[in-house]
Amino acid sequence: SLIWSYIGYPWETVIKAAMRKYPNPMNPNVVGVDVLDRNLDTDGRLHSHRLLSTEWGLPGIVRAILGTGHTRTYVKEHSIVDPEEKKMELYSTNITLTNLVSVDERLVYRPHPDNPEVTVLTQEAIITVKGVSLSSYLEGMMAHRMSANARKVLL
Amino acid sequence: MFFICYSQTVYGYSALKMNSVGEGCTELKREYDQCFNRWFAEKFLKGDRSGDPCTEMFKKYQHCVQKAIKEKDIPIDGVEFMGPNKEKRDR
Repeated sequence: SLIWSYIGYPWETVIKAAMRKYPNPMNPNVVGVDVLDRNLDTDGRLHSHRLLSTEWGLPGIVRAILGTGHTRTYVKEHSIVDPEEKKMELYSTNITLTNLVSVDERLVYRPHPDNPEVTVLTQEAIITVKGVSLSSYLEGMMAHRMSANARKVLL
Repeated sequence: MFFICYSQTVYGYSALKMNSVGEGCTELKREYDQCFNRWFAEKFLKGDRSGDPCTEMFKKYQHCVQKAIKEKDIPIDGVEFMGPNKEKRDR
């Protein structure tokens, strides 16, 4: 699924802010950010590889299920800033708890085509739970429920 | 499709509250971040391709961070966005 957001600030302002803090508002639990590598490619785009640490503050029962007292999870993020095309892409993936869940996210910040005072952010998340993609899992559940309901109607 | 509007408070959040993964590296990180943020805003985004003045600071900061990553055994290698081989370790 794709989420569209409209931010009431010009693109340069938004990405300067995005560089200063972890930019994903869907994850407020980020407690640490480190730059692992940074370089310019031959097209003049800036690549940054960052390590983000998040602290979930999970309730005790969840920690018991996870079998760990550690609630610190880590995410790797690769961002690409193209100052000429005015596009910033961020790709992130979790590098811990990978045997339980995989959360891959792609964010793209671009100026609004009709209004330079506005920035468009698109977010995509691909979540895989235990080897089955979340969307397939949900579709399977929906299909199951729909057929169960259909049976109820027919009876 | 969802529409979300962000207020200024989201982007007014200061990076100074962010720590390094290595507790002892936070000071070096903040010095580097300050240098980088200035270069990013005043040079890079304005199309100025002149050199990055932060390389020395980055080296010091990196030395510290890489040590912390090793000590904490953080699995930074081998896992990529939508990669086929995500490490099957629970941490």
